[in-house]
Amino acid sequence: MAPALCANCKTERALIKRPKNHAKLCKACFIAVFEDEVHHTITSSQLFYPGEKVAIGASGGKDSTVLASVLKTLNERHGYGLDLVLLSIDEGIKGYRDDSLETVKRNAAQYDMPLKVVGYEELYGWTMDQVVETIGKKGNCTYCGVFRRQALDRGAKMLEIKHVVTGHNADDVAETVLMNLLRGDLARLSRSTSIVTGDSRSEVKRSKPLKYSYEKEIVLYAHHKKLDYFSTECIYSPEAFRGSARGLIKQLERVRPTAILDIVRSGEDMARLVPGESPSSCACKGQKRAAMAPAEDDVGGCGSQNGRTPGNEMAAMDKQLRENEANEGLEIDVGKAMSESKMSGSEKQRDLPIRSGNGASKAVPRQVRGNCKRCGYMSSQDICQACMLLEGLNKNRAQIQI
Amino acid sequence: MTESNAAAGSLTRPCVKCRAQEATLDSRSQPVCRDCFTKFIATKCIKQVGILGKETRPPPPATKTGGPPTDTRRYLLGLSLGVSSTALLHLLNGNVEFQLSRGRSAPFDLIVIHIDASGDDSSPDTEAILARYRARYPRFTFHCVPLSSAVANLDLSSLPILSKEDEEPKDPHWWKTLPTAASRTDVARLLTRQALLAQAVTHNCQALLLGHSTTALAELTLAEAAKGRGFALPWVVQDGFAPSLPSSLLLPVPHGGGDGEEGVTGDGEEGGGDDGEVIKEVLVYHPLRDALRKELVIYAGLVDPPLTELISNTRENKDDRAVVSHKDLSIEEVMLRYFAEVEESYPSVVANVARTTGKLVRAGEGPGGERCGLCGMPLDEDGDQRWRGELGIQERSAAGTGGRLCYGCERSTGG
Repeated sequence: MAPALCANCKTERALIKRPKNHAKLCKACFIAVFEDEVHHTITSSQLFYPGEKVAIGASGGKDSTVLASVLKTLNERHGYGLDLVLLSIDEGIKGYRDDSLETVKRNAAQYDMPLKVVGYEELYGWTMDQVVETIGKKGNCTYCGVFRRQALDRGAKMLEIKHVVTGHNADDVAETVLMNLLRGDLARLSRSTSIVTGDSRSEVKRSKPLKYSYEKEIVLYAHHKKLDYFSTECIYSPEAFRGSARGLIKQLERVRPTAILDIVRSGEDMARLVPGESPSSCACKGQKRAAMAPAEDDVGGCGSQNGRTPGNEMAAMDKQLRENEANEGLEIDVGKAMSESKMSGSEKQRDLPIRSGNGASKAVPRQVRGNCKRCGYMSSQDICQACMLLEGLNKNRAQIQI
Repeated sequence: MTESNAAAGSLTRPCVKCRAQEATLDSRSQPVCRDCFTKFIATKCIKQVGILGKETRPPPPATKTGGPPTDTRRYLLGLSLGVSSTALLHLLNGNVEFQLSRGRSAPFDLIVIHIDASGDDSSPDTEAILARYRARYPRFTFHCVPLSSAVANLDLSSLPILSKEDEEPKDPHWWKTLPTAASRTDVARLLTRQALLAQAVTHNCQALLLGHSTTALAELTLAEAAKGRGFALPWVVQDGFAPSLPSSLLLPVPHGGGDGEEGVTGDGEEGGGDDGEVIKEVLVYHPLRDALRKELVIYAGLVDPPLTELISNTRENKDDRAVVSHKDLSIEEVMLRYFAEVEESYPSVVANVARTTGKLVRAGEGPGGERCGLCGMPLDEDGDQRWRGELGIQERSAAGTGGRLCYGCERSTGG
């Protein structure tokens, strides 16, 4: 049988079956098509303006490495006029982040981009290793996720950059759409699919130029471009929870390759169907959910592909919903509902006495953006999540020292 | 706890509801007895039927709507011959019997339709099964309609696989020639739904009742999302009016009563996706939306005589089949497997999915709103606009004179 020719150039031999639509392409055409699609995403969403300073959230993993490589290529090819910087977070995890940071450093040299590393230790006084030592392996992803979100913003501010791009891919977005449908979180559903996040109030906006790129194609791109990336998973998420949304997406992809994109499309469309997206109608319910999964404000929190949905999340969700059901039909008592949600929140993190009767436990109007009284970071509460978590950690440390 | 009922003391595990009988079942993690369980399921169903009853209250006499006076409510039940729709049939029958036993008139007329997608015109198999149903529920009328004839007149010129020259000798089972199991199952499901809606109009029914359980609605939600039909989800999963049908669908059914033209439509839009004028609006209700599938399976076994003897076995074993090849799987089957697991461990999560979709706004059907030429759902102009040209996926084929297709149907029929 004659070798199949590339469906695009029709001259070279087809070597790659595109995961996205099973088109058979040669290597050069695959790379070109992949880049063109990201370019299309960037231009159609008007992600950048000429001369913009953009920080690439770089973990050393495949997604952010591909993002850096593609952005550099496109910036030069299409004259975006971007000033690109690599921004890396050092969570302080020995045997994982120190190695991947080496990768990022090499990337900085390869792509000729400045690199800024911001460490949890300098920002918070805690490395993740120390956090895990204190609270154990369970639930530490919550800390890491909350800390990272702020760390990226703070790092960007240090660099006087107002735009951070992250390597979230189509699989990540699809996973979030399904997760939010399962957990019934319409507010997040409507937020999670938009390519740019962060409202006008926030000083640093986030965007995901790889939002329509398949994880498999990112791997292929990295492979064929011989990119230097780091593929070890975070050592603190060993028991990956693949049973839920992620596993489901992989199965759907096998049945119909376009399913991932189709879910992204559904998510975008449904986002427009969320009534009002107003905080007024069910603010207390929103509060309950926030207590359920504080780590996932945006798509995934973690550079690691696994482990961003802790195994007990569905169980916790089920329990919470059951409690809500049990309370249905009772007279609505807002105060009670709120104290209950706090209860379950503190129960989840029972190792830490994070409720300490300070300003945070006063009833604050929901969803009113303000600044944290301690660190000044944007927060809807008096005290931001990171400071709350830190307070618990610091108390624990003090006790241990005594 | 024990002081509440003396009888409970003598039982090893008293039912939490009546405290008078031994609990033999677990219902939503509470021990219950058989009677309380069946009552629980019946209540869930009848509550929804009650809501529908209010919605379809006969109009006061002398209205302008025309058509035959509907002093009784008239519903159409879509019977797949599976557990859920059979349970619904049984519960509706029970509801009618109860009302009659109280000396009241029957709360509604019910026509039961089975859409036969198997291909061979009304296979003898199906007829034999339906005969058992007729014998058990003589009160209701049963019909078996072959899917191919029910949708024979649907304008399919917008379908890529049919828009070629060979349009004339159209295969009556054209959807079976689609390349993947996912597409075949999807299109057959859409056509079945369309056929049921058309039947409801033809039989002059106010509402179409479907047997979807909480679990089935959750599956439907995620399956449709996975097929790119997120925009239409509220129309599919929520109770309420269906988008009106194109008139072409209503033709093939013999004798529909001449009330087609003086339609009762309130919204007066014209020129839907097809050449069809809007004829009549039908409500779609899912009275079992508050019961889990596993509960209906238990229920089917508890009823005396058990419903299991009605239900053909072949349909039931589908979910424990080992996956041979993913090529042979449909998206529906993937969801079935997934939710079978979730339902076992996290039933509240399942319930939450349908409830969440219930909060979304139904969009896209305004004056001049176009509908998909296949699934009949409103088209999403904004979404298509935003998506167009994205991602290097081929542009929609502009061929075809019929209506346009929605994103999901484009996907399923595109090959």
